[in-house]
Amino acid sequence: MEVGRLPISAAQKGKLISAGYTTLSSISSLSPTLLSRDLNISETDALEIIKHASLGGTMDDCSSSRAIIGAQTAWDVLHEEESATRITTSSVDLDHILGGGISCCEVTEIGKITALTSLIQLAVNVQIPVHCGGLGGKAIYIDTEGSFMVERVLQIAQACAVEMSTSYASSHNSLPPSHILMQPEDILENIIYFRVCSYTEQIALVNYLDKFISEHREVKLVIIDSITFHFRQDFDDLALRTRLLGGMALKLMKLAKKFVLAVVLLNQVTTKYTEGSFQLSLALGDSWSHACTNRIILYWNCDERYAYIDKSPSLRSTSAPYAVTSSGIRNSVSKCQQILRTQAT
Amino acid sequence: MRPATLQVRPRLVTKLTSGCPTLDRHLAGGFPFGSITEISGESGVGKTQFCLQLALLTQLPPSLGGLSSSSLFLHSEFPFPSRRLHQIAQSFLAVHRDVFSSHPSYNPLDCVFVHPLHTADHLLDEMPRIESFIESSRASRLPVRLIVIDSIAALFRSEFDNTPFDLKRRSSIFFKISGWLKSLAVKFDLAVIVTNQVVDLVGPSGGANGLRIGNLGCLNSSGRRVSPALGLSWANCVNSRIFLSREEELLVDQATGPVHRSNGETSVHGARAIRRLHVIFSPHLPYSSCEFMIAREGIRGIER
Repeated sequence: MEVGRLPISAAQKGKLISAGYTTLSSISSLSPTLLSRDLNISETDALEIIKHASLGGTMDDCSSSRAIIGAQTAWDVLHEEESATRITTSSVDLDHILGGGISCCEVTEIGKITALTSLIQLAVNVQIPVHCGGLGGKAIYIDTEGSFMVERVLQIAQACAVEMSTSYASSHNSLPPSHILMQPEDILENIIYFRVCSYTEQIALVNYLDKFISEHREVKLVIIDSITFHFRQDFDDLALRTRLLGGMALKLMKLAKKFVLAVVLLNQVTTKYTEGSFQLSLALGDSWSHACTNRIILYWNCDERYAYIDKSPSLRSTSAPYAVTSSGIRNSVSKCQQILRTQAT
Repeated sequence: MRPATLQVRPRLVTKLTSGCPTLDRHLAGGFPFGSITEISGESGVGKTQFCLQLALLTQLPPSLGGLSSSSLFLHSEFPFPSRRLHQIAQSFLAVHRDVFSSHPSYNPLDCVFVHPLHTADHLLDEMPRIESFIESSRASRLPVRLIVIDSIAALFRSEFDNTPFDLKRRSSIFFKISGWLKSLAVKFDLAVIVTNQVVDLVGPSGGANGLRIGNLGCLNSSGRRVSPALGLSWANCVNSRIFLSREEELLVDQATGPVHRSNGETSVHGARAIRRLHVIFSPHLPYSSCEFMIAREGIRGIER
């Protein structure tokens, strides 16, 4: 019997067992008041018992002050956060404002009309092997709008494969051995593609992801392009929509934490009608804006594309330019740099 | 629900040729299947003729860029230009005579199914019938694999007020239509082409509501600043947007050059319309533009 292991007096153990408490987990989730009433002991004694039970019945009760199983100290959390891997965006400027890239364990929302290149770039970059500084994972791509183009993936995958082999060659002064080289075909194979045609399918798929990922532990990135589309079609009951979306957001957050993976959602831009004027905002309403941990908005400024961090618990709200090229997302080469470069050549 | 592996999917998405190698080069092979492509432009720029041409081209075998399929042409701008379709079909037959030589009684017009649309609600009502029609056509020699809606804007521009309630209802219908078209596109593996009108932009630069959609900062046609109609929510409903523009160019006599008359006017020998095709946004295409002209046999790109 588990309670037998607790470092408490035999009388208290007897009271526990006669009240029906035999396992540690049944005690640790109780409040001291409840336990003290059940066992007819003082609240301080009850608190003592709960403390011991939460520690798993071990004798060692020195420094740790964890009252609930699974709780961590802020120090542990900081360590975990610092060691958390990030998925690079292939643009140094973007990585800089994102603190190294898209964070694993978190849900990130991207707001833009079409952002296929940036999403595919992430799906490709998550596969960069560990020895090249990547995650060596797989990506799940959930397509709700039908904008996914395999030929574009292939272009970006080819560029990424070439870059990996040249960076290996320059750092090792030799051509990379064939077994560690990634072929564009391998990259394509590691993107798991789902096409979703209605919101019921979308909800079903999000519910199924938990099972799917526990069978495919290599998955390090889940992309939904877009979370919005099916939820903007004839939803008369907006309260129901909010509940469904809220439930989906919670499931995605749980996935991100449980399997240490990044979740990236695409959201659409819309206008919001407030006090007689229209303002730009992301779709799905105010309640949805609480659902994601990070929010990045992509926009045009003159002839340059910019990314702006709209919401993040740890990053500063700044923006950085980037460029979309045939080989994917890259650093933006601004006009004056272009002129300098042409002059130099 | 099973994931699709990208290895098994065809490496290149099947595409419907635009009927001209120059235009195909700018569109990376043509109009992709399984998604919605919007062709927008002012009136008289050639949207409808482009669609008529595509409705015929889809009957070609895959080796020539077609799909061996018939097409469903839903039109909301009246009357349906059947004379022009007939004219294009004549030259289409003349060019591809050998392809269809095995079917002597073949008439390309038999494979273009035309259906009128009067209002947005009419389209919503017709949806199940259209779906069962496409389903039943699968057994025929040329199943329907192209849906054209010409134009989507005409369905919406008259009926709805500029009030928050109507705008909300309007955009929810957009998403309903677009979701239905996309699910058809996946289910029957077909291409969807919709045309859209343009609206004039007034006020400060920077697009509608100060938001820039796509690769071009502003779109100009006939010297006016325009934007595709139906606003931001419809822009979210299409996968690719192609814009056709037109500018008048004054033709000046080559031999004498511009002659300045006493009243200060320049003598010109008429005007020529320069039409251009722009890729505004598309998941697989970078921005590009190309000049095109409308000939008797249809739309042709001009190599510069």
